[in-house]
Amino acid sequence: MHYLGEHSFWSTLGRLFVALSFAGALIAAFFYGIQAFRTPAEREERPVLTLRRAARWAFGLHSIGVLGTIAILFTALFNHWFEFDYVWRHSSLDMPMQYIASCFWEGQEGSFLLWLTWHMILGWVLIRTAKTWEYGTLFALSLVQLFLASMLLGIYLGDIKLGSSPFILIRELPENLGLPWTEMSDYLMRIPAFRDGQGLNPLLQNYWMVIHPPTLFLGFAAVTIPFLFAMTGLFERRYTEWVLPALPWTFFGIAILGTGVLMGGAWAYEALSFGGFWAWDPVENSSLVPWLTLVAAGHLMMVVKHKKTAPATTIFLAILSFLLVLYSTFLTRSGILGDTSVHAFVDLGLNGQLLALLGFFTLGSLGVFFWHQRHMPKSASEDAFSSREFWMFIGALTLLLSAAQITFSTSIPVLNKLIGPDGLVPILQTQMAPPADAAKHYNSLQIPFALIISVLMGIAPFLRWKETPKELSRRVLWSAGLTLILTALVAWGLQLTEVLYIGLLGTALFAFLANADYWLRFLRGKWTAGGMALAHLGFALVLIGALISNAKKEAISTNATFIHQDFPANENILLPQSDTVSMYPYYVSWKAERTEGHNRVFDVEFYEVDMPLASWADGERNHLKTAFTLHPFIQMNARMGNVREPSTQHFWNKDIYTYVSYADLRSEAEKSGDWKEPMEASLKTGDEVFLFNTYLLHGDTLVVEDAAFDPTTGELTHLDLALSLTLKGMDGSQYPLVLPYHLDGNNVENAEVEWADLGIKIRFDGVKDEDGTYGITAWEKKSNDPPFILMQAFIFPYINLLWLGSILMGVGSLLAVWKRIYRSLNEGKK
Amino acid sequence: MKRSSIILLAVVALLIGALLVTLQDASIYATFDMAKKQQPETVTVVATLDLDSPMDFDPKASILTFQAIDKDGQRSVVRYNQPKPTDFERSEEITLTGHYTDSAFIATEILMKCPSKYTDGEGINPDAIYTDNQPST
Repeated sequence: MHYLGEHSFWSTLGRLFVALSFAGALIAAFFYGIQAFRTPAEREERPVLTLRRAARWAFGLHSIGVLGTIAILFTALFNHWFEFDYVWRHSSLDMPMQYIASCFWEGQEGSFLLWLTWHMILGWVLIRTAKTWEYGTLFALSLVQLFLASMLLGIYLGDIKLGSSPFILIRELPENLGLPWTEMSDYLMRIPAFRDGQGLNPLLQNYWMVIHPPTLFLGFAAVTIPFLFAMTGLFERRYTEWVLPALPWTFFGIAILGTGVLMGGAWAYEALSFGGFWAWDPVENSSLVPWLTLVAAGHLMMVVKHKKTAPATTIFLAILSFLLVLYSTFLTRSGILGDTSVHAFVDLGLNGQLLALLGFFTLGSLGVFFWHQRHMPKSASEDAFSSREFWMFIGALTLLLSAAQITFSTSIPVLNKLIGPDGLVPILQTQMAPPADAAKHYNSLQIPFALIISVLMGIAPFLRWKETPKELSRRVLWSAGLTLILTALVAWGLQLTEVLYIGLLGTALFAFLANADYWLRFLRGKWTAGGMALAHLGFALVLIGALISNAKKEAISTNATFIHQDFPANENILLPQSDTVSMYPYYVSWKAERTEGHNRVFDVEFYEVDMPLASWADGERNHLKTAFTLHPFIQMNARMGNVREPSTQHFWNKDIYTYVSYADLRSEAEKSGDWKEPMEASLKTGDEVFLFNTYLLHGDTLVVEDAAFDPTTGELTHLDLALSLTLKGMDGSQYPLVLPYHLDGNNVENAEVEWADLGIKIRFDGVKDEDGTYGITAWEKKSNDPPFILMQAFIFPYINLLWLGSILMGVGSLLAVWKRIYRSLNEGKK
Repeated sequence: MKRSSIILLAVVALLIGALLVTLQDASIYATFDMAKKQQPETVTVVATLDLDSPMDFDPKASILTFQAIDKDGQRSVVRYNQPKPTDFERSEEITLTGHYTDSAFIATEILMKCPSKYTDGEGINPDAIYTDNQPST
C-alpha cells in the first residue's frame, strides 16, 4: 500500500545504509582478518595489494553506510518527519533548531551512531598512518563496528530482536502492528498526534547537550585505539613495539575523555540543580573509570617504551580500559541502573545484545591475552627503587585500585542481579542498596588513592629511568618545603579541620608546586616540552579545586528556625515577594517573576551592606546596595515534568549558586480565580467574629425591607432582608458592606458579595434563630497569601581552580600528543 | 621476599580492604517493617506513592508529608525535608533513603522512577482520528 505523505522511501533507504555499514564492517573484518593472521612475509606476497585494497574498499562501504545513516536521520529530524518513531520521540516543532543535534543523540540509537561515526573517522586516520599496524588494528576495529552497527539494525531473527532502528516508522512498531489505523493510506492526515513530536527532554535543552556527548563519545572512541594496538601486538607477537604508535592515541584519549567527563561535571553544575559538579552518580562514575585505567595504561606504555620488556600489565590495562567503556555502555543502557541513577537510558530490549557485545570482547580479548602471556618478555631484574619506572608502576596500580573500588560500588545493582535473592546464584538474603551517603562513601575511599597519586605526580618529574641521581631527586625538596608552609597557611585560612582533607590539600599542592618548578626551572617554561608538567599541574589544580569547593561548600540559605525534631536544619530560605530577607552575608529579595518561553524566571536581587563598620544587626537594612541579581528559573514542561535550573554568580574566588526549590507555578488566572475552603460563622447584631485570622467582622444592622405573608396559611411568601456588616482590619481600616437576601416562595436569592480589593467574599445565609442569630459564609482568595518562593543558595569557594585545572590538564595532554606526533614525523624524515 | 611480591600482597590487601569497606557502607533495600526494627539505621526502601492518602506540603517549613506503600504492601507516613519533587504524583516507583523515627519514616533522599523521564513509554495516541466527513476528537 502507498501511504500518503509518508517518507517510507527514506525510511527504507536509511535502513539500507545501516545494513551497508554492517555488511561493510563484516567484509572489512574478513579481508583485514586474512592479512592480520598472516606473517609479514606472507603479506608481501602477490595478493597483498589486492587484499588491502579490498579491505579498504569494504571499510569505505562501511563509512558510506554510516554517513548515509547520519544524513537521513538529520534530514528526518530537520524536516520533522514525525512518522519516524525516533523523530517523534525526540523532537518537536516548537524546538529551537540548534537543538536538532541534541535530538540526534538523545536516544540510544543516535548515541550508538555517534560512537560508530567517531570510530569510523579514527579508523581512516589509522588507515592513513598505522602502516604495518593497519591490518591488525582495522581488523579489530571492524569487529567492534560490526557489533555497534548491529545495534541499529532493528530486525527480528525469529523472536530475537537484533538492534533498534532509528528509521522505524510508528505504524511498524510491534504494539501498533495490525491496528486499524495502520491500514489507512492517509493515516498521517487523519491522526493529529502525528503533527507534532514529543520533544527533547527539557533537561537536555541547553548547549551542553550539544557539545558534551560528541566530546565524551570521541573520548570513548579514542580509548578503543590503544586497545586495537594492544590486540594487534598480541596477534603479531609484537608485545612491546605496539606502544610506540599507540602512545599519542592514548594521550589523545586521556585529553578528550577527561575533558568530556569534566564537561559533564560542568553541565551538572551550571544547568542542573544537583547541587554540585560531581555527585558520584553511577553514570558519571562509569565514564570516569575508563579514564583512570587509560591514564594508568598510558604511563605504563612509556615504561614499556623505555624498557622494551615486561609489557603484560600495560597490555592488560589497555584492554581493560576498552572493556570498561563497554561495561559503562552496558550499565547506562541496559536499564539496570534504573533505581540508582537519575540519568540512565531506558531499556530498549537490547540487553541480550549488549551482553553479547560485552561478553565477546571480554572473553575474546582476555582469552588472547592470557594465551600470549607466557610468551611475553619478562624483565630480567627488578626496577631500582629510585627509578622512574618503579614509581610509575606503583602509580598505575593505585589508579587501578581506585578504578576497581569505584566499579565495585557502582556495580551494586549488577551484583544484586547476580547474587541477590532473585539473582542467578542467590547468596544474599536481601538486596544490596548503594551507599546511603554516596559522597561520604566515595570520598573516604578515594581520597587516600588521590593522596598517593598526587605525591607520585609531584616526585615523578624528578625521577629518571633506570636510576635517579641523588642530586636530582634532592631538588624536589624545594617544592616540598614550600608545600608545608603553603598547606599550613591555606588550611588555617580556610579552617580545614579534617585530617584527610588537609592531607590531600598538602599532596595536591606539592604536585602543583613540583610540576610548576620542573616546568619553569628545568624546561625553562617551554610549551612544547611542558605537556607532562602542565597536565600534572592541571590535575593537581582539579584536585585542589574539588577539595576546597566541596569541603567548604556552604549553604547560606539555611533556615535557622526550629521546625521539627527530625529536621535539625533546612537549606531552603523562604522569600516572600518584595520582602528583603537576611541571608548572611547578603540580604536577598525576590523582586519579580517572568515567563520567558517555557521558563518561569525568578529575579532575585542580592544586596550587600554598604556600611563598612556595621555589625550584622537590624540597623543595617538602611544601608543596603545592590550587589548582583540572579535569575534561577524553572523550565515548565507539562509532559516531562518541570526542571529547576540554577543561576550562579561567579566571582574569581567563589561562586554563589542558587536555585528555586519551590514556587507556586500555576498561571496568574488560575491563582487569582481560586477561592479557599469557605468558612461559616454565626453572629448577632453587635457581635464580632474573627475572619481568616486577619479581620474582625462586626454585625451592624439587619433590616427587613419588605415582607409578605400568605393570608390563609400565615406562611412567609416574600422577604427582602438587608444585612449591614463592617469588616475591620488590624490596622483600624473599616470596610462596610450590605448583603442582600431575597425569599420568594421557596426560592432563595442570596448573592455572594465580594470586597474586591480585599480578596474576600461573603454570603448571607439567612436568620438561624429566633433571637436574631444569622449565618454567613465567607471565602478568602487563594492568592491572598502573599506569594513566596523557597530558594537554596550555596557558596562554592575557589571552584574556578577546578575549571582552570581542567583546561590546563586538557592542554597539557594535547601538548604531549603533539610532541609525540611531531617527533614521529621528524623521525620519518631522517 | 622479592619486592614485586610485597607490592602484589599490598595491592591485594588494599583491594580486599576497599571492598569490605564498600560492603559495609552499602545500605540495604528494606521494607518499612525492617526499617522500623533497625531504627535509627539508614536504609533504602523501594515503595510506591499512595495517591489516595492526603499529601501535604508545608512550604514555610518545607516539609513534605505523604504516605507510601512498600513492596510488602505496608503503608507508612513519610516526611521529607525538601520541597516536593516535580512530578511527584506521576512517579511509578519511589526509592526512599532514610531512617525511621517514632513518628514516621524520615527520607533524606527521594529518587523517582517516572515513565516519562527520558522517553514517553506511552507511544502515539491514535484515539483521535478524523473521520471522512468531519473532524471529531
